[in-house]
Amino acid sequence: MKKVLSILLVLAMVVSLAACTKDEPENNDNQTTNAPVTTDAPKTTDDPGKTDTSTPAPTAEVEPTATAEPEIPWDGAYMEKEDFLAYTAHDLESIFEAIEDQLDDAQYQTVKTVVDNGIDAINASTSVKDAEKAYEDAYNGIINAIPKADGLVTYKKENNVERTNILGILEQYGVANGLTGISVFENGGYTMYNERITLGTENYIVGYGFGTLAEGSINADLEYETNDAWKRYYHTYESSDPGTLNYLNNQGQQVGDLYSYIGASFVTNFMNATKDGYDWVPELAKEKPQPVNDDDGDGMCTTWRMEVKTGDDGLKYKTGSEMADRKAFDGRGVALEDYEYAFKLLLTQKNELYRGSELANYNGDMAIAGAKDFYDGTADGFKADLWEKVGIKTYVENGKNYFEVTFAGEQTQFYAMYYISSSIYMPIPEDFINLVTVKNYLGFSADGKQTPVDNSLTTGAYYIERYDSDQQIVFAKNPYYIYADTKYSIPGVYVKIFPAAESDPTAAIKEFLAGHFDAAGIPQDYLNDYKNDPRTRSTLGDNVTKLNVNACDAETWEYLFGENGTVTQTEKANYWDVKPVLGNAHFRKALSLSINRQQFADSRGNVASVSFLSSDYMSDPENGISYSTTEPHKRAIEQLLEDTDGAGYSLELARDYFRMALTELEKDGAYKPGTKENPTVITLETAWRYPQEEERYQKEIKNYIESAFNDDSVCGGVYKLELTFWVGNEWTDVYYNKMMLGQFDIGFGSVSGNSLDPIGFMNILSSDQEISHNFTLNWGVVTNDPDVYPLVYDGKRWSYDALFNAVNGQAIVTDGQNNSVITISYNEIAKNDDGSYTGSLVVAPALPDMTNLTITAIMCCNYDRYYNGDGQYDEQPVEFTTDQAAGGTYTITFTVPAELAETYTKGEGAPEEPTGYTGFDFYYDLEFNGSVESTYYSVDDAFVIE
Amino acid sequence: MAKYVLKRIVLACVTTFIILSLSFILIKLLPFERPLGNDTAQTAYFDRQYNLGYVYRLDQQSDLYGELLYKSPSNKGKSSYYYTVPVMTQYVHWLENIFTKWDWGDSKTFQPNVKASVIIMKRIGYSIRLNIFSVIFSVPLGILLGIWAALKKNSATDHIISTLVMIFISIPSFVLITFILKIFAYNFGLLPSTWPPDTSPLSARVQGYIIPVFCLSFSSICGYCRFVRAELCDVLESDYLLLARTKGLTRRQAIIRHALKNSMVPIFPSILSEFIGILGGSMILEQLYGIPGIGKLFVLALNYKDYDILFVDMALVTAISLGAGLITDLSYGFIDPRIRMGAKNS
Repeated sequence: MKKVLSILLVLAMVVSLAACTKDEPENNDNQTTNAPVTTDAPKTTDDPGKTDTSTPAPTAEVEPTATAEPEIPWDGAYMEKEDFLAYTAHDLESIFEAIEDQLDDAQYQTVKTVVDNGIDAINASTSVKDAEKAYEDAYNGIINAIPKADGLVTYKKENNVERTNILGILEQYGVANGLTGISVFENGGYTMYNERITLGTENYIVGYGFGTLAEGSINADLEYETNDAWKRYYHTYESSDPGTLNYLNNQGQQVGDLYSYIGASFVTNFMNATKDGYDWVPELAKEKPQPVNDDDGDGMCTTWRMEVKTGDDGLKYKTGSEMADRKAFDGRGVALEDYEYAFKLLLTQKNELYRGSELANYNGDMAIAGAKDFYDGTADGFKADLWEKVGIKTYVENGKNYFEVTFAGEQTQFYAMYYISSSIYMPIPEDFINLVTVKNYLGFSADGKQTPVDNSLTTGAYYIERYDSDQQIVFAKNPYYIYADTKYSIPGVYVKIFPAAESDPTAAIKEFLAGHFDAAGIPQDYLNDYKNDPRTRSTLGDNVTKLNVNACDAETWEYLFGENGTVTQTEKANYWDVKPVLGNAHFRKALSLSINRQQFADSRGNVASVSFLSSDYMSDPENGISYSTTEPHKRAIEQLLEDTDGAGYSLELARDYFRMALTELEKDGAYKPGTKENPTVITLETAWRYPQEEERYQKEIKNYIESAFNDDSVCGGVYKLELTFWVGNEWTDVYYNKMMLGQFDIGFGSVSGNSLDPIGFMNILSSDQEISHNFTLNWGVVTNDPDVYPLVYDGKRWSYDALFNAVNGQAIVTDGQNNSVITISYNEIAKNDDGSYTGSLVVAPALPDMTNLTITAIMCCNYDRYYNGDGQYDEQPVEFTTDQAAGGTYTITFTVPAELAETYTKGEGAPEEPTGYTGFDFYYDLEFNGSVESTYYSVDDAFVIE
Repeated sequence: MAKYVLKRIVLACVTTFIILSLSFILIKLLPFERPLGNDTAQTAYFDRQYNLGYVYRLDQQSDLYGELLYKSPSNKGKSSYYYTVPVMTQYVHWLENIFTKWDWGDSKTFQPNVKASVIIMKRIGYSIRLNIFSVIFSVPLGILLGIWAALKKNSATDHIISTLVMIFISIPSFVLITFILKIFAYNFGLLPSTWPPDTSPLSARVQGYIIPVFCLSFSSICGYCRFVRAELCDVLESDYLLLARTKGLTRRQAIIRHALKNSMVPIFPSILSEFIGILGGSMILEQLYGIPGIGKLFVLALNYKDYDILFVDMALVTAISLGAGLITDLSYGFIDPRIRMGAKNS
């Protein structure tokens, strides 16, 4: 018996040994297997930190007892059992940690139990599949323990603290699902200031800066300046001449920056008394906006008004022109109607002003009521009747001058103030515009004789003193400025047009060091010499550079981008070959951990970052609190920073997660290993904007990632990772032809939104293009599916889209999903025996009890007869019936009479000979939750007359 | 002669037309570049392109206008569809405006609404002044050095001059300016590091010419030096010069009366073409030194995709080039009466 037992024992040991060494890498001396420190998952080994996996460790742990079951050999290819299980358990714990604060007591206990049991089950697993199943079971247990959100929900009125919590939850979801990309660095850096400048504060204020002009001063002449009057001006530069200062008709940042010298707004920012933040201070207004129709007293409403300053309050226009007709406006008091005229100027389509078109096309609650309709109706010029319906009014009440604005949706006081505070709404007299013409306003006349000096009128801190094309733009202090006595003590700003800065990154610092400029950023080549110079100040950025990731699996990609994709429709032949590695969360995490951001950013004078949002984004814009400093943000990125160098880099962890990912992917059958001599090559294409970015960024990032993955300790060389470089013809190709169409693996991305509205900017994480306004860059999960990841808030589970909408306005939530007020489906029209055509439309309300639909008309329109020769829209009404089923669904049936259909005879496509392509417009009044909207729904190419 | 000149002028016009037409079509065929932004920004951008006449805006999709550039988001069920205006349609409009109204178009982005021709005219003075100074500086100096080298042929002086010429003729002006700026502007602070604005004192504006004129002239000096040396060496070894010496002229007399005069025949016409060459060469230099001339304008117009400026600039440079070519050819006849323009082979 003893002999038999001994033989069995020896056999068991041999089998174990063979199993453990079978798929081990040949050379993995450097492999480390440190589990994340934060996990307290039970380990099945006493030494989870051992580094040498070439020794068949499990054999030493087998107790040679006669009754022991022979241990089932571990089937994980590249990771030891203990480590694999520990990491899996850690994943489960991470989910729990992310949601635990949002659970009520009962949910907490249930979920905790599920998680604990799940961890036990994971630790008891004997195979990769077992561990994955244990994880999935626990995951489903968590999902099932938390109910899904339902109903009409809004969190827009929550305070900043709560909204920041929600932002953190949305960000955490993005990080977990690869939707925030892999952040690398923030565009902050180092700037040198001339010693003659006293800054407003020595510490950079996020969203405000150093207060150089408003609170700073200059205490010595600039010797280099030859004009005595300008020696105390602040000397800066632009790399090119913008050719205009008309920010109302310009889409670039440069004109906006220059215009800000002369612009004034209803409310502005000045540094606070403690010089560590900024305050919102009325500038053109006398007060912050006051609610007009806050009927429920919740502090939110659509109409706001402000008492504004006019000439009676000392608010006067300033121009630097010496032309008599322009000079006549110098010192003229601002009239109340000038405030309203600024909006008329912008929104009249005939004026062809870029910012007017933008203002008219704003989506959602921030739009000005009636602005779009006014804009669309003024292609031929201003129309007084349409203006009556626009939510901009000025009036005098009790001797006070008021400016009133009505938004499309309810706003808090802060956002009402913010949305209306742009300096492009600076008042302007109509007769001045009539004098200089809209085309020439703030720019040059067609013959070049009048410059922006002659064509501008300002109420801002500075006015344009000189504008010499391609040479210099000079601003002088406006003596009429409302805060001229207390702010902006620097007497002027001299802007040198300095084209060398465009092609030579060191040109500006050379000029600074020669004493020609008052400030310049420190380029990479000068960092070592000047980083610690006493004149140097560090700044934070407003933009994070990321590697955006296509984390879709094939099925999701097909859903989003396939032949019937919800985002775009792609022919089969052009389907993108999605890479399963990028769909693996552990692989994505390993990519992030591979990049030595600190080194990368330091060498470029930037700031290392793992954050989706830059430091410039405010969680409390009113008080200037950066979201990056808040606890919700820190929790959201915790999983990217734990056990790293503090900037998200850990080569050991990266390699661990690569091992984990390969183990999982191989088990799923996504990849098959090659040999060390002929490895399986995993190629990831990285798409960039410019060819020079290969040298500038790609090479270093490629080296980080490839050297982390291709180390023998990861998989013994049976796989090889390669990052290839792609660049398009235009710099925007990486966005429009790659990322926005899902045709990429990894793509450069560096976009930013409204820094005072970080929650609004989270829209670009949504896979729903109505929410993201066609600006999604990272893809992975379908964000309206509440089951892909437990996104929990207020004890309920949500889809990302649902919670996003709820916090940004209101969401109609059904089973955790975001829904439209109504869903419209069109049933194909069919020809009847009598030659008429009959079709129907089914309208399903998401919340029938709160919805009432009234079809007012159905218009039939043949496209070839669209313009019927006299420029009129050619459409005919057709009869219809409306039925409402018990569940609230409406069915609208309509008929195109044979006589009408016959007029759409098949022809060549001219108005007289239409080809028959015909569509419909369904006009309806939609009443939802007490508010009524008149709108319409179009069906194009509905039928062709036979 | 008159017939020949007329023929050349007509040919120059045809050549200009072909160059401009090809340039217009090829440049307009470049991919449509749209800025980055969400739907609001995109709609505003395409509205602007529509206002500028670059795209069509339709209320419905159509197969008649080629590629759909952008579809605005639905507003109450309605979208706008933006299609590019066909290049040939733009071309015909462009030609029509030039031939019927002599209207070369307005700047669209560089200096919005200003006539392209006005922008060019404001800047051409800077380029011409710069080039004239450069020619004035480089021609005598180059010729003198060339004469010196030729007279000292195969001596140490000749070798030094020739070697320096070879070195400096290889250095482009925009490379040279980097070194000169570093030494004279940044290290010693003797000269302005950028083009002084028109509001600067006269002394500063004069100083502002030194670096660009020097940089533009350097390769010209070298070119003339090499050219004159080669021509003069040939003449100095010619039989008629030997005859002149045998007839009793001193070396100085022979060189001044015969050698120099004859060696200058191919050199003087090249001064004109040199002027045109410098106009082109100053493009990058103007950009680097911030000179508001037409060379820099060309680069900016290209960057800004401000086509009307680009085409006027191109038309001007083409016309000057072809005109200079014509004058150069005609000048041969004036300098050397043995050369007759348009004469038929006998």
